[in-house]
Amino acid sequence: MAIEVKEREHKDVETEQLATGCEAIAEAIRLADVDVMAAYPIRPYDGVMQAAAKLIANGKMDVEYIVADGEHSQFEIVKHASTVGARVFCASSGVGWAYAMECLVVTPPLRIPMVCLVGNRALDDPGAFGVEHNDALFVRDLGWMLCWIDTSQEALDTTLIAYRVAEDRRVFLPLAISADGAFLTHSQAITMVPPKSKVDQFLPRYNRGDLLLHPDNPITVAPQANEDWVIEIRRQNDEAMKRASTVIEEAYADFRKVFGRGPENPWFEEYMTEDADIILVGMGTISLPMKVGIRNMRAQGKKVGLLRLRWFRPFPTEKIVAVLSKAKAIGIVDRDYSFGSPFNSGVVATEIRAALYNSDKRPPLLSFIGGLGGREVTLEDVYKVAELCYAAANAGKSDAKTHWLGVRE
Amino acid sequence: MMSDVVKTDPTGITIEIVYRGIFQKTLAQRICRSIVLAARKRGYTGTAFGRYGDSPERNGVPAKYFAVVAINDLELESSMAKYEPKVVDIAVAVDDTLVKGVESWAWYGRQPIWKPVHAGGAVLVTSDKTPEAILAQTDTAERPYLMGIVPGLASFAGLWVFKDDHTDYRVLGALAKIAPDWVRIEDVKTLIQEQTKDGSAVASAQDGYDRTRLRAVKVGEGTSGHEVLQFEKPGWTTMRPGVIVDARKPGERNPYYKKYGARTLRPVVNFDTCIKCTMCWLDCPDECFEVTPEGHYEVVYEACIGCGICAQVCPVKDCIVMVDELKFEDNDDKWQLWKTDHDAYNRWFEQKSGVSADPKSTAGAGVMTAEREEND
Amino acid sequence: MADTTFSNATQVLEPFRGIKKVTIEEYFTSGHRTCQGCESALIMKLMVKAAGPRTIVLGSTGCMYVANTTYYTTPWVVPWMHTQLGSSGSAALGTAAGLKALMTKGKIKSEPINVIAFCGDGGGADMGIGAISATLTHKEYNSLILLYDNESYANTDIQISGMSPYGANTTFSPPGSVKRLIHTRWKKNMAGMMAVGHTECRYVATVCGSYAVEMMNKVRRALTIGGPTFIHSLDPCPKGWDYDPMLSHEMGELAIETGIFPLYEIEDGVVKYYGKTKAIVGGRKRKPVREYLLKQGRFAHFLEEDLAYFQAKVDEMWDKWEIPAIVPFRKLEATKAALEAR
Repeated sequence: MAIEVKEREHKDVETEQLATGCEAIAEAIRLADVDVMAAYPIRPYDGVMQAAAKLIANGKMDVEYIVADGEHSQFEIVKHASTVGARVFCASSGVGWAYAMECLVVTPPLRIPMVCLVGNRALDDPGAFGVEHNDALFVRDLGWMLCWIDTSQEALDTTLIAYRVAEDRRVFLPLAISADGAFLTHSQAITMVPPKSKVDQFLPRYNRGDLLLHPDNPITVAPQANEDWVIEIRRQNDEAMKRASTVIEEAYADFRKVFGRGPENPWFEEYMTEDADIILVGMGTISLPMKVGIRNMRAQGKKVGLLRLRWFRPFPTEKIVAVLSKAKAIGIVDRDYSFGSPFNSGVVATEIRAALYNSDKRPPLLSFIGGLGGREVTLEDVYKVAELCYAAANAGKSDAKTHWLGVRE
Repeated sequence: MMSDVVKTDPTGITIEIVYRGIFQKTLAQRICRSIVLAARKRGYTGTAFGRYGDSPERNGVPAKYFAVVAINDLELESSMAKYEPKVVDIAVAVDDTLVKGVESWAWYGRQPIWKPVHAGGAVLVTSDKTPEAILAQTDTAERPYLMGIVPGLASFAGLWVFKDDHTDYRVLGALAKIAPDWVRIEDVKTLIQEQTKDGSAVASAQDGYDRTRLRAVKVGEGTSGHEVLQFEKPGWTTMRPGVIVDARKPGERNPYYKKYGARTLRPVVNFDTCIKCTMCWLDCPDECFEVTPEGHYEVVYEACIGCGICAQVCPVKDCIVMVDELKFEDNDDKWQLWKTDHDAYNRWFEQKSGVSADPKSTAGAGVMTAEREEND
Repeated sequence: MADTTFSNATQVLEPFRGIKKVTIEEYFTSGHRTCQGCESALIMKLMVKAAGPRTIVLGSTGCMYVANTTYYTTPWVVPWMHTQLGSSGSAALGTAAGLKALMTKGKIKSEPINVIAFCGDGGGADMGIGAISATLTHKEYNSLILLYDNESYANTDIQISGMSPYGANTTFSPPGSVKRLIHTRWKKNMAGMMAVGHTECRYVATVCGSYAVEMMNKVRRALTIGGPTFIHSLDPCPKGWDYDPMLSHEMGELAIETGIFPLYEIEDGVVKYYGKTKAIVGGRKRKPVREYLLKQGRFAHFLEEDLAYFQAKVDEMWDKWEIPAIVPFRKLEATKAALEAR
């Protein structure tokens, strides 16, 4: 029985849409001509699956859309689709992402360029559907590329860039784009959706080459290895992650050429850092109250700036150190936790501390934890952070204690 | 002039039991534990462990278990957190077919039984054969070693029901004979008495001590007739990314893991009485048969692991006979010989199997009912 | 742009008309680290022999992954990929969906490619039962899930699974001086369960390597009929069951002759019994279960009461079930009588 192959609509003009982060990503995967995706309900990421379903039902997207029986199956389905050469998309949040872990841990060594959205959500129990970053951070050691975005526009653009980077033969690693639950996944903002013709200029077809699982390329994928081989396989992953940095820079440069927008620096956004005494650091939508707070403080003559980290893996060590080492004090606000870590801080603070270790100039570094479980980070929080940073800058050192923001005692 | 006793380091001794996976797993474990527990009686310490990479063990696939005895904890440390000892003082093969070589997994190659044994060490073999017969199947010695034959047939059992035929006690006795500093016969007998309260078990240890035949092996003695199977492992820069290997080509067999070292018996085929029913080829779990132009099925000895299913499913009496692996020196396939020199082949069949190749000799016995495939 | 409109057709694999018509080629060749006498290895060989070269096999973690493929080599001629322990359903689904997507869009050539996911009883009946169930509802994807049942988690050196028989000795259920039987659960009825619960699944069958041509023909039927399909094979395991490997073929026959394992297929809801099972349904006396159980070391600790219990449970399958050995609901007359009595 023949199945009609639909003529895909080509919108050759850019359109403006009022879209949530999830909806923006749905547009991106439509433009990327994703072949297979799998859905399973959990908030707050699944807006992307709902948006995709509408696109499919209205004939705007041609994709095998499978509703799975759980997140483990969900991710395994797209992992296997990818091995036979299909461009895939998958996504989850919180404990759903945790349920998929057995799949997530093997996609890097198998070199599966799975592009995923993580709608960052607190792990339950204790519940709350609001943002915490620990879910995406689970995979930070395993060979996943990780980035954090803070607007719907960035969500769309980064998704296109993600396919370009992940599917590059030099890389072939999975990539998770993190979007703060509710604040980004569910908030609508003006988003420019490019035409397909532009996307086709930027994004080549997924070509798995001789890693393809198909009778025309007979291979055995992942026979059981033992202690004679595993460390060599890991070293291959190490090399691929190192190559990713070059590929990321190439992709962003090309994106700017084709689409006429996008950041010059892929790795992080700098906001008023050039002459800043105090630099705040954060990932995701925490940037928004921080920027408002910084503008207010600037109006009072306080020279505060923000470094919003975009790429967490690969970690842009030299570039971050180049910026942060010039400050008089650094305040890092983690929207995550790492109990029992060296200074009981969050993950980002620990990593930045490590990045700065070899630098000649190591300004006082203060670590903060805030905004967990969807708690808003307020202007008061931002001022508090800056205040403590100024105190440390004046003293020439920090007490290396982690401060928790806005916690009722 | 080599001594009858193994020369060891004054700080301790390392013994490995080379055994048939699963069939002799419990046996190997018991021997190694007993070595350590017996040495405890003299105030020594020790460790016993299986080679982790051998697990999960597979029926017949060679595996190793180790016992280390040391004079104190400090000396023992150098034997701990080890995958396997690189050098041993004594290797004990508890199945004599293991002297034809040890291939434990892919890329491992076929290793001579004496490979980790240092000069002046020993190889003990449980066997009903003479030392000369065993030596004739052992790879040419690169270092001098002491060979000891512990009397008895190979003791095979399964995972759940142990065959208590005193092989372990005899082996302990033999070890006491050649390594009295570390495995003392009195300690062994005391331990066995404590554990079993069985005088015959104790006597078996003494029996092993008394009746083990020793033969000093010089460099160059042994056979060079076994296949050299060694591999150089590639590094991360040349390994294919993605944990991927090329598939086998159609008709090709796996060159990196041959597996014939897993057999203790091999099938010999009487092509004269074969009725070409196809069952042996069909039911072989290891793809060990090739179809000949005339529709016979010949055994590929490079691949056969000696499970014996073919002999069981063959409907003709004595058409396939399982024969002791030590009766054969090579892995050559034999159907060509049957084609070119029929009588020579049949003499070979009779000599190896002990059974007449003459179809008339099975007349009256008749063809047993074959389980024909029922196709509705 | 690749040619041909996508039709979601399957390969047309005709049944082998007799043992001499069986394909000679091996698509799974020698040199795999399985036990002497491993019937699961035999099933793998037969499975791909039946399926042919235009096949992709997904192998879940288990004996038939670890024993068969030891890196940096392989015995596979057809493409094979490892998948996670409970993922056979998802692997089949994802592979089939990926191929379908690419063919529908014309990104690769349209052709029927067999997708077979091969999982053990641990991965299939325990951990992965949910994923298999999901896949069997997806009639738009062609695949075969073959559950090879050696009645334990064999690769981890033999532990209880939901398919292990009552009272079996395993490392999680050793008979001791105080507790003789730790495992008193009865084996799940996997094939029957899959058939009853998934009405979009057109083909469910049970097989045994002791009846190799029948097994291969059932594999061919499953691959030809279209949509998701399920086969359950009983694989005597000399390591886990503790018997001389040369008896593997006979052990399979005994499992069937005692009525412990039934051979059947269900195609579009129609039940068909095979071979000795068909004879039993027709009235032939079953061999007593002790003839099978006492040949295996894993039942060496059984007493008469254990054998009697086992026999009674097997008798029930044949005497009391509405569809013998397949669906356990009591016979309709008995049900009616029970309702009237209330």
